[in-house]
Order: sequence, then C-alpha cells, then structure tokens
Amino acid sequence: MEGFMGEAANTVSPGSGRRLKSGWFTYRQKKRITPWLFVAPCVVIILLVTIFPTIYSFGLSFTKWEISLPNRPFIGLGNYAALFKDVRFLHSILITAIVVVVGVGTEMFLGFGLAQILSVKMKGKRFFVAAFLLPVMAMPVVVGYTWRLLWDAMYGPINQIIGWIIGQPFQFTWLAKTSTAIFAILVTEIWQWTPFMFLVYLSGIVSLDPELFEAADIDGASGWEKLRYLTIPLLRPIIIVALLIRGLDALKFFDVIFALTGGAPGNSTETISFYIYKTGYQFFRLGYGAAASFILLIALVLILSYLLKLLKTVME
Amino acid sequence: MWPNNKKYFYKEEAKMRASRVRKFMLLLFAVLFLIGMSVQFGMAGKSGKESAPAPEKEVVKETVVVSGPFSSASKAVEEAKKYKGTTLNVVWEAGLQSQDPLTMGPKWEELTGIKIKVVELSYNDIYSNQLQDHLTGGSSYDVITFSPLWLIDYVTAGVVAPLNPYIDQYMNKDDLKDYLNVYGAEGYGRIGETWYGLPDDGDVFVLYYRKDLFEDPANKSDFKAKYGYELAPPKTWDQFNDIGNFFTDKFSPKIYGGAIQRLEGQVYSWWDGAFSGNGGRFFDPDTMKPMINSPIGVKTLQQMVDQNKWMPPGVEKWGFVEILSAWMDGKLAMVITWPPIGRWSAGYGATVEQLSWVPKTKVAGKVGYVPPPGRPGLAGGFCLGISPDSKNKEAAYLFIQWMNSPEISLQRVMLPFALRDPFRISHFESPLYSSLWPDAPEYLNCLKEAAMKGQMELGIPGAREYAEAIDNACTSAFAGTDPKAALDNAAKRWEEITKRLGADKQKENYALWEKGPWNKEGPK
Repeated sequence: MEGFMGEAANTVSPGSGRRLKSGWFTYRQKKRITPWLFVAPCVVIILLVTIFPTIYSFGLSFTKWEISLPNRPFIGLGNYAALFKDVRFLHSILITAIVVVVGVGTEMFLGFGLAQILSVKMKGKRFFVAAFLLPVMAMPVVVGYTWRLLWDAMYGPINQIIGWIIGQPFQFTWLAKTSTAIFAILVTEIWQWTPFMFLVYLSGIVSLDPELFEAADIDGASGWEKLRYLTIPLLRPIIIVALLIRGLDALKFFDVIFALTGGAPGNSTETISFYIYKTGYQFFRLGYGAAASFILLIALVLILSYLLKLLKTVME
Repeated sequence: MWPNNKKYFYKEEAKMRASRVRKFMLLLFAVLFLIGMSVQFGMAGKSGKESAPAPEKEVVKETVVVSGPFSSASKAVEEAKKYKGTTLNVVWEAGLQSQDPLTMGPKWEELTGIKIKVVELSYNDIYSNQLQDHLTGGSSYDVITFSPLWLIDYVTAGVVAPLNPYIDQYMNKDDLKDYLNVYGAEGYGRIGETWYGLPDDGDVFVLYYRKDLFEDPANKSDFKAKYGYELAPPKTWDQFNDIGNFFTDKFSPKIYGGAIQRLEGQVYSWWDGAFSGNGGRFFDPDTMKPMINSPIGVKTLQQMVDQNKWMPPGVEKWGFVEILSAWMDGKLAMVITWPPIGRWSAGYGATVEQLSWVPKTKVAGKVGYVPPPGRPGLAGGFCLGISPDSKNKEAAYLFIQWMNSPEISLQRVMLPFALRDPFRISHFESPLYSSLWPDAPEYLNCLKEAAMKGQMELGIPGAREYAEAIDNACTSAFAGTDPKAALDNAAKRWEEITKRLGADKQKENYALWEKGPWNKEGPK
C-alpha cells in the first residue's frame, strides 16, 4: 500500500499534468482506484462494526438463543410474535412514548420560549446563553446519578426546599412511587435537553431576516401575530430538524433510567432500550433481545422517514 | 473597498475585543485556579483533621494453616514457577473487592514470577463480560469469578472449565473438606463431583444490633410495658417489627429502629431468606408450579412493606452504602446485611487507606451479632474458576489454588478492607482471626451459625430472571401495589420462564438445588 501510494505520488507531479511512470497501473486506472483506496478503510470498518453485526443480529432474532439452553433452534417470527404479547415490552413502548411526546414536546415549547426571550438584545445575554447550555454538556449517566441525589428522600435538596416552603419536614420518596418516578425522569430529561432545543431555535431566530419583522411592524402586526405568521412558519424546517434529532435520541432513552430508577418500581419506568438491555445483557436472551431491537429500529426508520418527508414538504 | 478610517476602526475594534477576551480568560483562569486551590486545601485540611491515625502498613497477617500431607499453597507456588514470566488476567469485582487480588497478586508474583493483571468489573458486568468473551471466542480472561447462582448457566454455556484434573494433580484433598458444609456443597461450586469453582466467599446475612440500646434499662422496661415481652435480639419477623417500631417511635429522627437494603436489584435477596424462614417453598417440585404467591409469600412481602414504615424515610432506595453510613453514624438500632459491616463497625481496619471513604464508626464496642429471624439469606458469594479459553489454564488454576488455600485465604479474609468473608472451617476456628478485635469470636460464631442455617438463593438455570421477577414484585409492593397482586405477576413470569427453559429440565435442576444442605431445615 505504502509502495503503491509512494509510486503514485512520484508519477504525477502536481500542476504539471505530465504522465510519468506507469508502474502496474495506467494513470487513468490509478485515478479511478485511488479514491476507493482512501475510503476503503472506513468502508471495511463500517462493514465490520455496523453492517455485519446488524445482519448477524437480524439472523439471531429468528432463533431461540438463550444462555440456559444448549441448542439455539430457528423459530421464524416466534420472537416477534411473542414480543407483541409481552406486556412488559408493550409497557416499555408506552413509557418510551411518554418520554418522546411529553418530554421532547415540553423541551420544544420551553426551548422555543427561552429562545424568544433571549433573542432580543439584553444585558448579560451571553452569560445566560452559556449558562443554559451547561446541562447539555454533562454526560447523561452523570445527570442521572446527580438527580438521584437531588430526589433523595432524606438528604435531597428538592424535599428540603419543599419543606421550607410548606414549613414542615418533607420526606417524600419520589423515585420509589410509580407516578412520581416517571415525573422525576421527565423533569431530568427536560432539564438536560431543553437547552439543546433553545440553542437550535435561538440560532434559527437570529438568522431570520429582520426586514420582514420591520415590515410587519409598519403594517401594525402585534407581537403574537409576528410569532404566529412569521417566526413559526419561517422556523418550521428548524423545528422539524430539532424534533427529529431529539425525538430519535429520546426513543433510545437509556442512561438516565439506568442511573435514576433502574426501571423500578417494578418495571414501571422501563423504556424500550432499557428492556432490550435487560433482556440481552442481563438475561442473555439474545434472540428475543435482537427481535426487540429490530422493532425499535423499524420504529426509528418509520419516524425518521415521516419527519424527513415533512421536512422536504416544508422546504418546498 | 472600505475607506481607510473604517478599516482602522474595525482593526481597533478587533484589537479591543481580543484584549477584552484575553482579560476575561485570564480572570476566569485566576478564579478557577483560586477555587481549585481552596477546594484542594480545604479538603486536605478536613481530611488532615479527621484522619489522624496513620494508615496501617501491614495489612496482611501471616498465617500457617496446614493439615494433611502437604500444603496446597506451597505446592501451587512450586508448580507455578515453571510459568515464570506469564501474565494472568484475573476477573474480580470492582471496588473494594479487587483490593484483595491487588494486594495478593504482587506476593504471588514475588513467589512465582507470574504477573497478575486484575480486570475489575461491576457485579452485573462480571456475569455478562465473561459470557460474552467466551461466546465470541475471546480469551481475555484466565481466572474467572462467578456467583454460585450462575453456576448452571455458566456450565451450560461452557464458560467454566472443570477443575478436577488439576485438583487431583496438585491439591491437598483435605482442603476440600475444610469448606463449611454449605459452601462446599453441590450446587455452590460443583455439580456432582465435578468442581467448576473453588468456593471463595462466605456471604451470609447477619443481624447487627446496638447492644447499648437493647441493654438500656429504660428501653427494656418501656418495651416490656408496651409489648409484653423482654427486649432482646429478634427471633421472629414479628419481633423484628415490634422492636423496630419501638425504637423509631421513641427516638426518631435521631435513631430509627433499623434498615434493610430495599434498592432495586438487591431486595430479592432479603425476600428469599425471609420467605424460606416463614416456611415457603419456591416451586411445587412435582408440577413446577410457582408457590411464591402462596399465603406465605404474600405474608413475607407484607412484612417487608410494614417494616418500611418504621425504617428511615426513603429506605426503598437504600443500598449498601446508605445502610453503612447510617449504621456507622449510630442512626440505626438494627441492620441486616453482609458480614463486612460487622468488622468495620467494630473499628477493624478504620485506619487503612482503602477504607478512608467509610464513615468513622460511632458504634464500636456497642454492636451485637445474631443470625436474622427465620433463615438468613446466603446471598451472593463468589467462586474462583478458570476459563476454558485461557492459554494458561494450569497457571491460572495454580493461582486460584494458592489464593483459595487455607493459609492464604485466611490472610485474605482478614484483610481489613476485604469483602471476602470467612468460608472455611479453619477460618471460623482461627485464633488469629478471633484476636482481631474484642468481639471477633462472637462475630465468627454468628457468621458460622447463620451460614449453617442459611438459605441459598434459587440457583437454577434462569436464576437471574427468577430473581428479577421477585425484585420487581418487592419494589412494586413498596410503591403501593397490593403484595398479592405483585407476587401473582411474579408467579406468572416464573411460569413463563420455566416453560421457556423447559419444565422437565427445570424440575430436575430444582430437585438438585433442593438437595443442598441449605434446604435441610427447609424450605418447608
């Protein structure tokens, strides 16, 4: 490889356009092959670490692969059929849907609101923008463990602050009750990712043409009308892209659940990713876990296709 | 082209901005530096104040325990010398646990020239990574470590190599008889007469209680007046509940009646022992129908829910560290947990560097030890095995034989920071161990008694899934689900797991597990 490339470097001197030594290949052949050689390592690596495992796990999803069983028979669509009867899996879909719809939805509104507020000229704007971005920079698993401390019943600041407000000790175990555990997960998720939405919308808002807004002012448009008929329609592609990025990420929501609730109480806060992790890596039911992963993958592809189609329509 | 004056203006503006940025960066750096230094010195000052005693330099106590024709430890050293220059990858649980091989590894290297590389993994990752390594054809590990619960799964998957050829060749067979009955039994480290792992840890639950509170005359009379019987370490779960309620009513929030780990992923271990102690049986051995949702199962779970009411707020999310902190701080009258907490609360190892994170004990000399009510859980535990994929199987075996030998294992269970607990008869009878702190003989007796009447967790294929179903039932009940409904759900999952893995095969495995010495007293 080194010899070939070294030779290639010798054959053509830059800018001269001369055809020198031919070696094993003609200049034309080399010109055709060289770009492929440059991308070959990437292609090989992608094939090895992405394409091959995907195909392999797709094959696994049609087998009864259990660590406790010596044989791994082919069972066709058995795993897929069983998954749609598995109450736990269906519940994990519901929890994932709640995170995506409520979590990402709230992030969108809050992020948009914050971006609107900080899009005007104000003192200390840079400081606020930088401060709002801090949660995005934290690792989700660190966020999960930190919020676990914040929600602690005895020593957590959240209970302490509520206690100050109501004037008596407050020691509620947020993470041990189903409804409040989901609430705690959503608050944590929203806290971390609203700044991302805010940043995307802020960059969108500041890039809008000010002349349009000046014209609207001259026409006597109110603030609401400018928002309704100018800002939102103009930002629509950006809103869709932000939703796309966050939505796909939230569908794979794992780290915070792992650190904050471990899927408990019971399995009431398990998301699809967490369920797959438990099935595949805790119980080593690789066939079943692979089938669940492919259902998630199909869901991701469908949502992605829909949002991309929507984006295309908006752009047109 | 810009006019010259405009160019000049922009240049100056850019210069000014750059200067402002530089100033800001300098200021920021100075502030961060000051904060960093103050935190550093503040912490150093604090730790300087609190850690007055110098760390114990010599943590390994030399021991000589040899019975039978020869010492397995010496034999292992002699035979291993031929592998000088080899490196063994040894899997161990991360954290304090791994301080054990990190301490003993260099000694082994000094004796044999074999280097020990400790691969630290979390408890759950040990199970998965060793399996993955084997299934993907890797040979990353030479020595593997496993819980007895995983034994059958590991044997089925071929993750562990049989040790018998090496035992026959190198071990003093008397050492196999030195394991306490429950740890040397079939289903712990061996299946039939085939050894897959050398039992290496005596994990059992112990009830620790505050003798000063239990022996206080005022407490004694108040308790008798309220409940009509003498205040003494509880023998039944009802007594445990009464005593816990009593102390919480009287002393909370300063002191609570007690606490037990209720964190998801751990709580099933406490349910198992209590269920068995109440007379429960996991399956009907003829039909393999789960019996966890029987009235005994429901009663057990209801008892746990009731106990939470007098335990500290938020106990549903407490793990080992929370229990340890509250206990060492003198905030609990009773705890039921693993053995190390008993040693640390007596102040043993308080000055070693590895335990500097453990809160200083405020209860030294005030701690009593008894087996928990009913049947103590034999929860967790470790065996040492060798990987069939290892390129240095014999050297790996010789290392585990040395580590596990009576004399070296005694040194290890006496390491102040070790999480390995006595598991050999010679450990329980060791005068050296008994001299470690004033109450050590009482502690050893309690550990032995608890182990002998202990209930091992259900160790059949799919053990992790069965355990997780119980765990989910417990945390659901703590969240407000009716215990019966929670256990019905768990039983439904058990049925599904059993059916999936083959009811006949599971029936055989359950019969094998029930034959274990831990079932001599039960399950009823």
